Formats: sequence, C-alpha cells, structure tokens
Amino acid sequence: MPDLDRNLALSHRHQEMENQALGIEMSERDDVGMIDLRGKADDKAFMKNAATVLGVELPTDPRTSIKKGGIDILWLSIDQWLITTPLKSHDKTLSALTKKLTKNHALVCDMSDARSIIRLSGDRVREVLIKGCSFDATQPDFKPGTVRRLLFAEVAALAHFVDSNPDVIDLYVFRSYANYVWEWLLQTAHEDAGVGLFQVQDAPVV
Amino acid sequence: MLLIKCPICDCEGDETDFHYGGEGHIQRPTSSNPDKVGDEAQRDYLYVRKNPRGLHSERWLCERGCGKWFHALRDTATMVISKTYLITDKPPAELKKAGKK
Amino acid sequence: MSGKPYRIPSSRSQGAFGRLIDRDAALSFTFDDKTYTGFKGDTLASALLANGVRLFGRSFKYHRPRGVIAAGPEEPNALVSVGSGATHEPNNRITDVELYDGLVATSQNRWPSLAFDVSAINNTFSRLIPSGFYYKTFMWPAKLWPHYEHIIRHAAGLGTAPQEEDEAVYEQVHVNCDVLIAGGGIAGLAAALAAAEVGARVIIADLSPRFGGAADCIDGKIDSAAPLAWAKKAVKKLAAMDNVYILPRTTVTGHYDHNWVLMCERLSDHISEADRLANRPRHRLWKVRAKKVIVATGAFERPLTFANNDRPGVMLASAARSYATRYGVTPGERAVIFTNNDDAYLTALTLQDAGVSVPKIIDVREDTKSALISRAEDAGIEIIHSSVISNVETSFGGTSIEGVQIATRTATGRLAQPFARIECDLVCMSGGWNPAVHLFAHVNGSVRFDDTLQTFRPDQTSEAIVAIGAANGHFDLSTTIDESFDKGYAAGKSATGKSRPKKAVPPKARQDERSPLEALWFAPAKGSLNEGNKHFIDFQNDVTAADIELAAREGYRSVEHLKRYTTLGMATDQGKTSNISALGILADTLNTTIPAAGATRFRPPFTPFSLGSIAGTQAKHLFQPVRRTPIATWHHDNNCDMEPVGLWRRPFCYRHGTEDRQAAITREILATREKAGIIDLSSLGKIEVKGPDAGVFLDRIYSNVFSTLKPGRCRYGLMMNEDGFLFDDGVTVRLAEDHFLMHTTSGNADRIVGWLEEWHQTEWPDLKLFITPVTENYTQFAVAGPHSRDILQKLESTIDFSREAFTPLDYKSGELCGVPVRIYRISFSGELSYEISVPANYGLAMWQALMVAGKEFGLTAYGTEPLHVMRAEKGFIAIGDETDGTVTPLDLDLGWAVSKKKVDYIGKRSLQRSFLKGDERKEMVGLLTDDPKEVLPDGCYAVEQLLDKPPMKMIGHVSSSYYSPTLNRSIAFGLIKNGRARMGDTLQFPLEDKVVSAKVVSPVFYDSEGERQNA
Repeated sequence: MPDLDRNLALSHRHQEMENQALGIEMSERDDVGMIDLRGKADDKAFMKNAATVLGVELPTDPRTSIKKGGIDILWLSIDQWLITTPLKSHDKTLSALTKKLTKNHALVCDMSDARSIIRLSGDRVREVLIKGCSFDATQPDFKPGTVRRLLFAEVAALAHFVDSNPDVIDLYVFRSYANYVWEWLLQTAHEDAGVGLFQVQDAPVV
Repeated sequence: MLLIKCPICDCEGDETDFHYGGEGHIQRPTSSNPDKVGDEAQRDYLYVRKNPRGLHSERWLCERGCGKWFHALRDTATMVISKTYLITDKPPAELKKAGKK
Repeated sequence: MSGKPYRIPSSRSQGAFGRLIDRDAALSFTFDDKTYTGFKGDTLASALLANGVRLFGRSFKYHRPRGVIAAGPEEPNALVSVGSGATHEPNNRITDVELYDGLVATSQNRWPSLAFDVSAINNTFSRLIPSGFYYKTFMWPAKLWPHYEHIIRHAAGLGTAPQEEDEAVYEQVHVNCDVLIAGGGIAGLAAALAAAEVGARVIIADLSPRFGGAADCIDGKIDSAAPLAWAKKAVKKLAAMDNVYILPRTTVTGHYDHNWVLMCERLSDHISEADRLANRPRHRLWKVRAKKVIVATGAFERPLTFANNDRPGVMLASAARSYATRYGVTPGERAVIFTNNDDAYLTALTLQDAGVSVPKIIDVREDTKSALISRAEDAGIEIIHSSVISNVETSFGGTSIEGVQIATRTATGRLAQPFARIECDLVCMSGGWNPAVHLFAHVNGSVRFDDTLQTFRPDQTSEAIVAIGAANGHFDLSTTIDESFDKGYAAGKSATGKSRPKKAVPPKARQDERSPLEALWFAPAKGSLNEGNKHFIDFQNDVTAADIELAAREGYRSVEHLKRYTTLGMATDQGKTSNISALGILADTLNTTIPAAGATRFRPPFTPFSLGSIAGTQAKHLFQPVRRTPIATWHHDNNCDMEPVGLWRRPFCYRHGTEDRQAAITREILATREKAGIIDLSSLGKIEVKGPDAGVFLDRIYSNVFSTLKPGRCRYGLMMNEDGFLFDDGVTVRLAEDHFLMHTTSGNADRIVGWLEEWHQTEWPDLKLFITPVTENYTQFAVAGPHSRDILQKLESTIDFSREAFTPLDYKSGELCGVPVRIYRISFSGELSYEISVPANYGLAMWQALMVAGKEFGLTAYGTEPLHVMRAEKGFIAIGDETDGTVTPLDLDLGWAVSKKKVDYIGKRSLQRSFLKGDERKEMVGLLTDDPKEVLPDGCYAVEQLLDKPPMKMIGHVSSSYYSPTLNRSIAFGLIKNGRARMGDTLQFPLEDKVVSAKVVSPVFYDSEGERQNA
C-alpha cells in the first residue's frame, strides 16, 4: 500500500451531506477499483481466459451486468467491459487478468481512478435520473442488472441498476465532472422537486 | 428529435445519444491508391456531397451505446429511418435505386 | 366598481354560477398599482372583470384600448406583466394567469398610463400607417434604419424584459410513454380511459389547472350523466391508475419528429410568492417520446369581423359563457349576441339565466330551426335573422360599449343602411369554431378544408399522431365520445400490443342536433373601408380587413407572403383567433376559395413558454459542466487564478500577497528557469492504443513516423485533418512493443478519441488494435527547472533519475512514494523536465509530497500562462494560437515532422494541393518589437505598406505575444506571408492609437541548442 493519502473526486464534499434535504440518499463509493477490459466477444480464447480469471463469463447481452463474488462485470460494448472489484483484491485481479490475457488480443487498463461512482438510493432515484438524460429510467425494462450509458447533465455517464426495493443505482461519471454532477444532483434531487411519475395521484380539479 | 436504433447493440434513443457523421459510403481514394489521386478526385472526396431530397445514406455513431459507427437510410423529407446497417456493409439496393431517380 | 354587480350571487340558479371559485377565500391583488379583491379559483381575467375592469391593454400598432375577448390561451389582447423585480414576467395572458394572494399585474404597451395613452394618436392617423407602412417609409436612407427601428420598437412592442436575475429554479424531465394525450377535455379523458384500460402508459396533460374542458359549458348527456359529472368520474378513475400520469397546468407546446413532444409544466406560478418553495422548480419542461400522440386540444371560437369589433366589451360568446359558469362573473349587464351558428345560443341562455339582460340575438343566417334556437325563443330572446352588427358605438376614447348598430346583409356582401340600434355594454360574437390543429400540423401533418365547418381539419400525417373530438372537427358530443374511445383504444393497443381484457362498453352520449353555420368573413361598415372604422382580424398585431385587401391588391397573394407583409398571425398568439377569418377575406378578395388560397403552417410553440424552462438546470452555477483536476483544492487554497480551458478550470497563475497577475507570472517563470517549478497538466489528453497494428495505425494518424519508435521512448507528433491542416500535437510514448500512450492537447482530448475510433472503425477496420482513453485516470505534473532532478531524487522511488540512466525523451515506470507512476523526460518549458503521471486519487498527495521535497530547492507552482511564455521563448507552437484550422505543418516550419517516406497518412494528399504549396502562404516567424517594452496585442495585423488610413494591405497577424521575463523584453510569433523570406525585415503593425514596428526573426528566442532541457 502506498505511503500517500487517497483522495477521491468527491472527498472534499463528504462532510456536507448531513444537512441536505434530499429526496434520495447519495454517497460516493470508496471501496472499489475498476478495470477497463477490451477484447472481442467473438474471440473464444480471450473470452475463456477472462472467464477463468473472473470466475464467470463476460456478459455479452447489451446493457447487462453480471455479479460474481464482490466483482461486477458491466457490458460497455461488443468489445469492452468495465469490471469493478473490491479494493482489497483489486491489484490481484488486475495482475491476474493482465497475465492471463498476455497472449490474447486484449487491453487491460487499471481505471480505478478515472471515475467517481455516485451511489443513489431511494424510491425517487429514477425520477432524478430522468431529469438529467434522454433515457427514460422510469420505464419498466430498466431493472436491476441493467447498465446504460448516458449523457447525464451534459456529462458522459453510466448508470448501473444495482438493486430495487428501494432502488439502488450507481452513477459512474468521469472524475473531473464528479463535483459538477454532485452539485447538479443536490438541486434536482431536492425533496421539494419530486415528480411522482406513474403513481396513484390525487385527482386534479375538474 | 429523431429516434434511432443501433443495429449493433439495439440501443434505442434520441438522436442526442448518437452522433451524426455525414453522408455514408464516401470512398477515401488514398487508402487504396495513394500515389494516383487526381486533384478532382481528392476535391470530390473532401467536399462534394449528394444532399438529396429523399433517401439518404448517412453515418451515425452509437455514442451512448456500444460506441460503434453504423449506417442509416433516412428519408430527408419525411425523416423516416427505413434501415440501419453495418459501417462495413455495401450500399443497399434501395439506395442505388433512389439515386437513379 | 365594488365587485357587484358583476359577480353573480351564489344563490342564483341553485349555485350554478361560479363553480370554480371559493367565495369564502378572498384574495387581494393589484393591477397597475390599484388593489382589487378576487376569489380563490379565479383567473386574473375573471377577477378583474368581476371588479368591473374592462380595459387591459393598448394595441400593438394603433394603441387602441383593448379588453379581453377570450377566456383561454387564444387571448390576443389582454397581455400583462405579472410579478415584480426578480419575478417580473411580461406577456402573460390574463385568461391563463391563476389568481393568488398578493399578485402584482401591470399593463403593457401604454404610456404614460393605460387610460390615457399618448400613442393612441396613431389611431387617429391610422389611415397613414397601413400594412407595410414601415417598410415603405423608412427605406431611405438605409443607414438610418437602426434609429428608426429603435423608435418604432419602443412605440410598438410587447412587455419589457425583466431587469433582475430570476431566482427560480427550472428543470427538465425525459419520459417515454405509450400514449400521450394533449388536452384533458371530454375527448382526451375518454381516450385516456380507453388507452389506460389496455394497460398502456398514458400521459394526459392540460394547460389549465383543471380537467374536463368544455364539459361544464355544453348541453347533452353522457350515459345518463351531465358531461361535467361524467368528466369528474373519469378523472377520478384515471388518477387511481398507476399507469396514467395526469398533468394539469401543462401546455403541450410542440410536436416534433418521431413523436417527440415538448410540454411545459408550471408548478408554482399559481402560488403566492411568499409560499413558493425555493427548491421546487418553477417550470418543468417535459420531453416525451410517445408511441402514439392523441391531439384532444379542442377548438377555438372565431371572432366575427365587423367595424370596431376590438372595443372592450366585445367578446367571444363561449368566453362570456365560461366567465359566468366557472367564475360567476358577468362581463356586462346587457348583452347582444352576434352569431353565425347555434353554439352562441347557449351563451344567450346561460347569460340570461345568470341575470344578464339579453335582448337580442343577431343571427347572420336566414330563418333557421334547431332545438337550441327554439329554447332561446322560448326564453323570450328576440332573434334577428339575416343581419349583422354593422358598427359598435363606444364612450369617448373607445374604452366601453354603449350600443351596436344592426344592418341587413345584401346579396353583394355590402351592407344596407343600419335599421336598428341596440343599447348594450357587451357583445358576444361567434363566427364558428376552428379545430386546434396546431400540434397535428407541427410535423408533416396536413389539413383539409371542411365546407360544413368552414375551417381546416386534420388530414394526413407520417407521424403516429391522431386528432379527436373538436380538434378533429367533431362538435357533437356523441361523435366525440365514440371517436375518442375508439382511437384511444386503438392507440393503446398498437402501442402495447395488448388487447382490452374484457371489452368495456363505451358510454352513449347524446346532444341536441345543431343547425349548420353560415360563413361570414366580413361585415363591412357602411361606406369606404378606411373611413375611420376598423374591422380587426388579428387583434394582437392590429391587422384589419383593409390590410388584407390592401396586401392582396399589392400582389401578396400567397398566404405566406401575406402573413409576413401584414404580420398577420405572428407574435405570441400566432393567429389562434385570426387565421381562418383572414383566409376567408383573402379568398373573397382574390375571388377564389379558402383551400385555393392556402393555409399557413402552425409552428411550435403552441403558446410561449419560459426561457428558464428551456435552460432547465443549465443555469447559474450549473450553467455548464466544470471539470476539476485532482489538485483543484490545492489550487483553491493557494490563491490560484483559474482559467477556463474547454470545460476544465486550469491554474493560470498563483498570486502571492499583493501581487498582480504579471508579477506572479514573472515570479513563476524566473523560479522555474532558475530553480524549479511544478505545473498541473492533468487535463492533457491521454489515450492508450494497443494491439499488433498499433504502430501502423499511428503512422497513418500522425504526419511523422511512430512505428520506428523504440519501447521506453517518447516522440513529438503532429496530427493533420484530411484537409492537410494541423489540428493537434503531442508526445506519444511507446509503453511496449504493441502498446502506445498518446498525449493530446487538453481541449482536443475527447475529440481525438472519437477521431481515432472513427478512422479505425470506418476506414481501417482490419487493423488489430484497441483504443482506450485514460485521461481521467491520471494526474500529470511537469516538474521542471535546473533542480527538478534533485527533487525527484530526494523522494523514495524505484526509478533511477540520474542523468545517465534517464535521458531526454525516455519513459520509465516504477514507484514514487510507493505509488505506481509513469515518468517521461519531456519538456514544454525548455528546462530539464520530468512529466509525472500518477493515479488520480493519489495526485493531490503526490503534489503535496513534491512541494515538501522541493521546498529547499525553491520549487514553485506555476500556471498555464507562465508555461505559455516559456514555450514561446523556446519557439514551440501552441494548438489554437499558431493554428486556426487553415494552417499546415509546413506553414509552421514543422516539415521535419511531415514524413515523405510514408505511403499514406491523414492529410498527406491534401498537402499536395496547389494552393497549399504556393509561395503566398503565411509562415510562422518570430517578431521582436523595436521597443522591447512594447507587447504586440494578440491578433494584430502587419501591413504591406503603412498608409494614412485604412484600408491597408494586410500580410499577416500576431499569433502569440508575451512579455518574456527571462529575456526582459517582449516576444511574439507572427504568421506572415512569405515570412521566412522576410527574415531581418521590419514590419509595421498599425494599432488603434499608434503603429508598432517589429523585426522578423527566428521564432526560437531562448536556448536554441536545447542545452537546458538536455542537462
């Protein structure tokens, strides 16, 4: 372990969360590393070697993810996956993957510091998401396990639907944008800014 | 606001989730024959475009999906996108037919 | 003016009047600084009418007094400003403004006051200002047009823009749904029920605060219930369904390609300002992608065109009915009805029931029969057939009505001498109904003329959009119910692919049959059109029947030309009340039919909506994304002036104590040159390219060769676009045989990732490689200066920093302070320099560790400006300064980096184009001013020959210019025609107040042998 302090993209904002009147819970995940894996889904040797290291086959269905142990594998493209690993075992997974794929046409990049993962949870998370992107996060086929790249608040982002009841969605944004997205969320997720989409409503005046 | 579906990853979304790349099937002359490209061929390649009223082949990037380029056939008058196909595919028959009209 | 007698007592007709107001909840508000009282549930229009106010504005051009003619969004006249200071908003229709306690409303387009308006003299001279007057009169001299325009715009104009910053927040949401229904009247509700029962996700929006549309103002029964009772049940049912979302106060403003719909929801405009929540959005803009769109927007009643039909007190018949029924307000005490159809008879009956005296109905039609007409006759109202109102008599100043003149229609269309005068203070007019086809027509929807209705109805469209009910030209309740259930069900079924589980039976509706209307486009006053009487078509733009006829005579026969010449149908109401009447008159004038005259196409928005909602969250501190480097907190704590570079904020310089920028820049440069400096370069683009063909690929991307670069080495490269123009540069590192790391400029980082992917995927897909951007994963610093090596050697590291082991353009990886790093010996400052790439989360701590280690060596943080000065001293170009998209590498004397051997690379062929090879190119040179203290302004021009005054032939410009503390004089780069042939010449740079002369020199001003960076 390095001698130096680790500062996440939003470390300077962790303190302020106590006084926010938000309709959702919001925090920065600090317990994971990330690996960007490139290789072709139709390259059998590559797929097999990756599966050997990760203990599970890489997902090939668009916009899906697979969870295995503490590892999440997110489909990004037909030749790209984002792997999140527990920080403790990150270096081990990274070097095992790099080593195993040496002879394959593949690229393994440690991207642990490239993104900030903002974890959003609560019943109104999807309502907040639709304020920032053209993708309709309230539609029924957006469900746990789904991964969707977004232009969110004018920023390239990725939503990973982790769990439901209550909804937990990880919003991945590139590190330099995290502070902006955080401020954007503070405004749009405010408890007074709720939408209440597709729920039983009070009947309006006739 | 066009609704587009990527033929590679089936990602469907607003045109803002995609990136327009101009007319499709423009041949880059120097990729195949770098030494013998005349000024006019180079000019046509760089600047001359069809701009039809009607069926138009164009390139789109699936920016919020798989990150891959593909072709779309769009009617520039009705905005109807009748077909999408791979970036490496040859021009489809209906495009050739429309071009002759 | 005490509020009586205009408010109908609650006791009247078992409380049938004023159903929307709460008479126990009085609200206080002001209009033009006068305080009034209204009730909860009132609109600003109904509250002011209840207070006896009839005058709401002055017209656009003639400054005529204007009242309110409508009760809904089509209102053309009564536009007021609402709010004050930060909440001031102009051009609100008083018919759409909901009353709240403390509302402040102000009239517009009047000076000094509404009652007495100086510009009303325009009306007196109106014969002198017909259509096109401004175009014709102020043509010459053309250069004075800006002055004319200023004065004209001051006199004519709508409200004023707010002067204070809007404190409200706005937002946007994006939703997909199966069926979107615009309009919550009977048709919309019926369609929503049918679609929702299939299981479709339905959104139904209405621009008003309530649903039900005209249900409370029409006759008939749905099953056995009154239309209003049915609507109440329908809304209750829809609200209880979780697949339905009901949006009141939401205007569907536009329909766009592929069924993309824009709606503006107003969340807090109806709440008193003190009670508005600071964090609740004022407006929410909805961007909805609907599989099916149903237009249930109803219809707008047409005014009739007769002399002085714009006087306050002339109102649409349906509006008068609505004010009485909904708000318990009678807009007059004695009303005359003027109609060409049956619907206005309902108004007559309603007003009479409300206690208004309704002596006569003037009906354009010959003796017609229908159940409604009989009811009016039975109620004792006299009906005068085959007649028209030929003029309106008003009080002095025209602010209220005293009576109307009645004349018979003759076969020629001209009127006979008036045969009667009726005393009245209210005229209710009805010229028929126009379906609100706006949304249907926004994208590709065509309309067709219906002879029975004498108006346009929806016809063909390539979009999945249908119109129902009155919006589709159905004014019969039974037809509307049947059609709405059918089309709602069909939309739900086709959107979801599901069928109704159990076939529900749609209700049966019935309504008395109406007799047909008769078109009347124009009832001219006796005599010539221009004799003082105006017959208004477009109230908002002051377009009269005479203007239409004049335009037609002058040759503006196409409706699109007519529209632009007369301004008909423009401004905020977009001709909702005027378009069809104008077409009728145009057709008559041209002796043709309306369909032959053509129709203008409605464009979005349906009604104006706020700029705030268009900006959404992109305002104030969220205006645009701001990118922070991992060192941002340190920069902030050390008094750094940040500079925007693209979306990044980069350190410009750090001011110590009382230093100004120049002093800080000088200090940072000298410290770096003499001791050591450190700069945050995190924003530089970093892209990894890996694969067996990576070298070949980079050879095609860059103008110089990379396949020969040895692993562990760095090389500077140039990128051209396919036109042959330079667009990026940077150092590429060969990490391993098949693995490269490219650096790009900060501003181009994302663009170049896209550029590489595009070329790989679309032109050379056979090349085996992967491209992955890694910019954000690393913080990068340059540690530069004579002591940089000493500082790095002081830190714990696995890397050998010695002069022998780590030579210029070497790359090494290892650990520094226990953190994995990549270090490159490259220099943009010209000093001994190491660029250190650190995982971003350790960047801040690494920076701090370097600052501590460097303290004894005088390590100083420097910003981008000192960096730019130092690179200019060294003769290095900067993308964006020396390049502007028209500059080739050869222009910048970078031919050494443009390969002649490589077969093909991007831009190679284009560089051979004749005009890029000629001897007229602008070439980069150094410039030294004669006066060493004089710094040439960036972008200033050199001239071929200095003359007394412009024009002078320009031969080039200054692309970079700085004061160099190192050389203690100014330095600059110029892009000068044939610059390299002018070496030693002195050029003249004329500025605004002086002429600066500078000598053409080599652009390398400092350490031309590179001894410092190679130290």
